[in-house]
Amino acid sequence: MDKVADKSEVQSSHPDPAFELLGLGIGLRNCHFDHILAEWPEVDWFEAISENFMDSGGRPRWVLDQIAERYPVVLHGVSMSIGSTDPLDMAYLAKLKKLADDVSARWVSDHLCWTGILGLNSHDLLPMMLTEEALDHVVERVRQAQDVLERPLVLENPSSYVQFQKSTISEPDFLRALCDATGCRLLLDVNNVYVTCFNAGTSTSDYMKAFPFDRVVQMHLAGHQHCGTHIVDTHDSPVCDDVWQLFRTAWQKTGGAAVLLEWDGDVPEFERVHAEVLRAQAYIDDIAPLPEQMVPQRRKTTTSTPVDFLVPNVMNDSRIQIP
Amino acid sequence: MTADGGSLSKVQRWMMSALIAPGRVDGESVTETFLPGAQLDAASCLGIYQRSYIIRLRICLMGQFPATLHALGEDLFCDFADEYLRTCPSDSYTLYELGRRFAAWMEENRPDRDLHPEEREPWVDFMIDLATYERMLFHLFDAPGHEGKPWPSIQTPDNELILLPGLVLAQFRFPVAWYYHEVRAGKSPLYPAPVQQLVAIVRKDFQTTTFPLSPFHFRFLTSIQRLGSIDAALEEMALWCGRSLADVQSSWIADVRQGWITAGFFIRRNDQD
Repeated sequence: MDKVADKSEVQSSHPDPAFELLGLGIGLRNCHFDHILAEWPEVDWFEAISENFMDSGGRPRWVLDQIAERYPVVLHGVSMSIGSTDPLDMAYLAKLKKLADDVSARWVSDHLCWTGILGLNSHDLLPMMLTEEALDHVVERVRQAQDVLERPLVLENPSSYVQFQKSTISEPDFLRALCDATGCRLLLDVNNVYVTCFNAGTSTSDYMKAFPFDRVVQMHLAGHQHCGTHIVDTHDSPVCDDVWQLFRTAWQKTGGAAVLLEWDGDVPEFERVHAEVLRAQAYIDDIAPLPEQMVPQRRKTTTSTPVDFLVPNVMNDSRIQIP
Repeated sequence: MTADGGSLSKVQRWMMSALIAPGRVDGESVTETFLPGAQLDAASCLGIYQRSYIIRLRICLMGQFPATLHALGEDLFCDFADEYLRTCPSDSYTLYELGRRFAAWMEENRPDRDLHPEEREPWVDFMIDLATYERMLFHLFDAPGHEGKPWPSIQTPDNELILLPGLVLAQFRFPVAWYYHEVRAGKSPLYPAPVQQLVAIVRKDFQTTTFPLSPFHFRFLTSIQRLGSIDAALEEMALWCGRSLADVQSSWIADVRQGWITAGFFIRRNDQD
């Protein structure tokens, strides 16, 4: 493990002054709306899923506007499909730009992945074949996206369950080259590193050694499900110890990246989610973390990239007026 | 650069097809495309994506159609959902559009579609109507609304009132709104008998409310929507029902006007976007 630096020293040495040192944030979820509006909890910042608010003319967008008045907000997308060979969706990008401007998004992120082709969307973060052809393709699209968004794009390393026979570039090297060519920044998800490396049988240590930490402005933490032969990135449980140790090492190397906890399946009460991300402070400060709080396990299925948390409970806000 | 014909495009087309129609993928192409994982062969690695694809979207459909799920039961709903997702894969960046074609797909694929309409199973009609109603509610939940803008009062003259742009008028063959809200209340309603249900659905203060309507009121609101004028609609209703205009106007003022304004059926003409 790297020598742990003092937090204030680390923060002052953050290499990218264009990006704020936001602290410890939480992924904004529909089921927490009422709690946040009622309590205005002491959270450093929120990350909102872009696609949930880009077209919203209802309560979700109203809630986001309220939150954006009081907290820093970052937008995190799941459908830009920057790696797809379909044309970039320029209408999507225009809506994203408007939303980012409206809520003063500190930055806009998505994933190094493709989500669909031929006009279809899998709503999954599908893996890229990492080749020179793919790098040229993604470089061109990141440039286009950044031109529309008028800000650097922040891209996240996804969890992966396959490795392509024809890939010729490692993921860290691909991301480094992408950043060099476009000026984009990175969102390092240490849980995704852990999942991808376990499934591929590769070393997290080698991955981290090659990773361009100087481009990282944000980190993600999340839980996963270990299935024995493989790990599925389920975002439905606390962060495991191995991932916390990866986080401890990686965060110091980033020089103070913003930290965000994703909890998307069986989402517990807000306080429980908040408590989980606050545990990160102990790893940042290199002190013993508080014991993990128990979370009831309810989920019946082990699904990668859960997205059902994106679907609002419309039934709760509906009534019938009997004459 | 264009990837048309390139290996990147080719592998993405192949993988998308492998997700939507997993049965069509041959083992040789899988091992040619992917390395084996640490403890799984290449096909099993791909299988993680294939299983998650359908489960993930099926759960989303369940969330968008909770009453249809209740009515069909989980097993049958999942059968319908899986087939729907195979034949109508998502074509939007937003999951909110996932259920857009579900009711129409049910209609096109009903098991008794080759029978004469009078010989068809009524429960299928009920499911189609229920799914249609749920989609309307889901859409209205996040559609542009009038929140944050002023609402008219009962003093606002009729000629300044127009229907709320998002107001939905719908007719069903079954009392689906009743059924839906019984499920919402945690009850287990039985399939209702067929009976025409006419409704207006309105969103005010982010609350979506369904108002069952009489045939007369439904026709009146439809006229307002079509003509853009309460006065013109009153005249049309008077002609249609063979009553005097004064009688119809009196009924409008005494029986429904205040209630509909308070419920959010109308906005002021000058307050529309």
